[in-house]
Amino acid sequence: MDAAPLAVELTGIWKRFPGVVANAGTELRVEQGSIHAVLGENGAGKSTLMNVLAGVYRPEEGEVRLFGERRVFANPSDALAAGVGMVHQEFRLVPTFTVAENVVLGAAERVLNMGAVERRVAELAEQFSLDVDPQRHIWQLSMGERQRVEILKALWRDAEILILDEPTAVLTPNEADELGLVIRRMANDGRSVIFISHKLHEVKRYCDEATVLRGGRTVASSMAVADLSPQQLAELMVGEATDTAARPEPSQPGEQLLAVEKLCAFNNRNLEALSDISLSVHAGEIVGIAGVAGNGQRELADVIAGLREATSGTVTLFDEDVTTATVRHRFRSGLSYIPEDRVGVGLAPQLSVTDNAILRSYRDHTRGPLIAVDRAKAFCTQVIDSFKVRTGSLDQRIAGLSGGNLQRLLVGRELTAEPSVIVASQPTRGLDVQGVKAIQELLIEARDRGLGVLMISEDLDELLAVSDRIIVMHGGRIAAECDGADANRSAIGLAMAGETQ
Amino acid sequence: MRPVLVRREAPVRGGQPLAFAVGLLVALLFGSVLLLVAGDSPMEVYRRMLSASFGDMEAFSVTLNRAIPLALAGLAVAIAATMGLWNIGAEGQILFGATTAAGIAQIGEGWSGPVLIIAMIVGASIGGAVWALGPAAAKAYVGVNEIITTLMLNEIAIRLVRYLINGPWKDPEGFGFVQAPALPGQSLLPDLFQRTHIGLLIAIGVLAVVGLMVSRSSWGYELRVAGSSGATATYAGISLKRKILTVLVLAGAVAGLAGGIELTGNATRLTETISNYYGYSGIIVAALALMRPSGVAAVAVLFGAVQVGGQSIKAIGVSDAVSTVLQALILFGVIAAGVLIVYRVELAEAAARGARSERRVRSR
Repeated sequence: MDAAPLAVELTGIWKRFPGVVANAGTELRVEQGSIHAVLGENGAGKSTLMNVLAGVYRPEEGEVRLFGERRVFANPSDALAAGVGMVHQEFRLVPTFTVAENVVLGAAERVLNMGAVERRVAELAEQFSLDVDPQRHIWQLSMGERQRVEILKALWRDAEILILDEPTAVLTPNEADELGLVIRRMANDGRSVIFISHKLHEVKRYCDEATVLRGGRTVASSMAVADLSPQQLAELMVGEATDTAARPEPSQPGEQLLAVEKLCAFNNRNLEALSDISLSVHAGEIVGIAGVAGNGQRELADVIAGLREATSGTVTLFDEDVTTATVRHRFRSGLSYIPEDRVGVGLAPQLSVTDNAILRSYRDHTRGPLIAVDRAKAFCTQVIDSFKVRTGSLDQRIAGLSGGNLQRLLVGRELTAEPSVIVASQPTRGLDVQGVKAIQELLIEARDRGLGVLMISEDLDELLAVSDRIIVMHGGRIAAECDGADANRSAIGLAMAGETQ
Repeated sequence: MRPVLVRREAPVRGGQPLAFAVGLLVALLFGSVLLLVAGDSPMEVYRRMLSASFGDMEAFSVTLNRAIPLALAGLAVAIAATMGLWNIGAEGQILFGATTAAGIAQIGEGWSGPVLIIAMIVGASIGGAVWALGPAAAKAYVGVNEIITTLMLNEIAIRLVRYLINGPWKDPEGFGFVQAPALPGQSLLPDLFQRTHIGLLIAIGVLAVVGLMVSRSSWGYELRVAGSSGATATYAGISLKRKILTVLVLAGAVAGLAGGIELTGNATRLTETISNYYGYSGIIVAALALMRPSGVAAVAVLFGAVQVGGQSIKAIGVSDAVSTVLQALILFGVIAAGVLIVYRVELAEAAARGARSERRVRSR
């Protein structure tokens, strides 16, 4: 037994959400003064575990110990008082306040001497090489600078344990290296840093130890990073080839239905998200798009569906160039789309089951200027019956439906339109085992009927189980492409992590 | 233990009348204390308020007259809110609608009654729509916050009216009153019964048609989808720009109509006070109706009754201040009780705070 107790010790953490087990007995041990990577694919339970540590969630089972002492946090301020600070992916700063004002917000004495506060903030920034001017306003700052303010906030509150949730996602490579230096200084100062990431080279570069999560369980605990190759980390992250469900019989792909040529597009922050993507989907095949979240998959799906403009390149549906066509035109031409964001893009949460069922086809259910309620309901009943959506009344708001039923409604609606091509973005994310199976079966059935399916998923096992071809995206480009039947999972894992062989 | 508000899964079905009753009762109790302190008899005051607003057909007809602009202003707020937009500019739209109608009355002095009235009513709607067009376009094309633009245009509208009635349109026979000249006699709305003018029918018609449009037409469906989530609307192929434009302009037209009806039905001349804060009261009316066009009419009648009743008690010596506070108390009570339709009160121990912040996070 070590003399020094661990800075953080989480044991047997269980946390369930409706339809999902986010943490299933997860473990985490972090030594004081170290930089500890928490690795895992999306949905592996990293964020939930960190939210447990930061007092946002309360675990149903399990223990949180800080420096050997058992803690129960009722809320984030409790955790902060105990020395746990978290920098979330979305910054929580007041844009019209200065850096210093944001740093002391909620943690200041009653009478503020701003001059003195600014000096102390500047000193603190200096101590950790956090280059940021306390007098500037947040809205003037770059994302990297804003992140430094968030870190300063935690340091100001004297956080002994700092959680950084995918901190490099918003940073340029240079800024990421600067952040690496900052956290090293913090570690040298005796603080412990938990670094959440799925970028393997960053973990190699900045971290001392790594814990790998998969499916809510800890699959590797506190491994010394120096001893591991990116290859080994990738294998831990995506897992051994588990015994997957029986692969569907390979189908004979038919004519080309959807083609994307040299497609480029920006993301919401006007940065290039897609560069020179070319791919095609044929009748009777499932093309799987693998990749870690945020590598352009969402943008690709949106551009194909018509929800985002392409900056260059073309989208072709059958033989028609639909690059600038409206969403409705593409839908009418046989392109269905299951967006990643079910409630909020694919469904309207405040509206009824019927209203959501007719979302794509309401213009077909009209009588003069009015919606023909009887016909709308008949259509809704058809979707619900064919796809086994469990609902109370048709007039009920969909907000009350479970995740699995929401997705059945959405998938059912899109398939009822009898499309030729279906783009399915994270179609099974967050669903329970049965829900996952049901949706996968629907997509396979659709393929067998001759539809072309483009399936985007962060779950590599799922893609390996259902895809006829797999395309790996990284950094907005196609990093690898392989046949679904004899895909090499660790090669895919490496390509996902941006490691070129 | 401390009480916290927890959002209900769905608003209590048919809870609105109950909330009205409870809120009213509580407000009247508080009001009694106030009246006793002020040296008035609560029973006498309340009896008076009731008889002035609902006591007989004539009283009720006065209340209905009040309810007409309140209902239309409430509708102007509620239809915008269906799409998640805040039309704070009904006040300005009412004023500019009334101004347009007054201008038409000057031009058409020699026209026959029905022609002039129709021209004024239609003109008022167009005026209101024009007043809303700027904020609508700014919101649709540049994303300018409509709350600010519609609110600021209220100030511009009131100053425009002030300028007109102090300058070019000043009544030469006004004996020092700052007002426009009286409208020509044939331009006044005929009475329907007692003191209620024919504007009641116009208002009912507009409420019915617009209510039906919002709840049943495909236009209204698109509006509701857009109100639920803009991204979902885009996904469904709905143009958000066009929706923002049409809904705010329609809201402006409805508010402008209220200004026209108020001018030809009640005021009989353009004055600075013609809008009587109906535009702002409309926000409360719409909120009490849970932003549903179908609920606006009933709330407007109640609101009108409170105003008429509140005015009436000045005649028995209750001070202006007490009357105003009493009206405010009643509205406050009803609104507060209305909250309980959407939220329920739970007693939470301090330790349960974690669970709550968790729910907050999950709901995002």
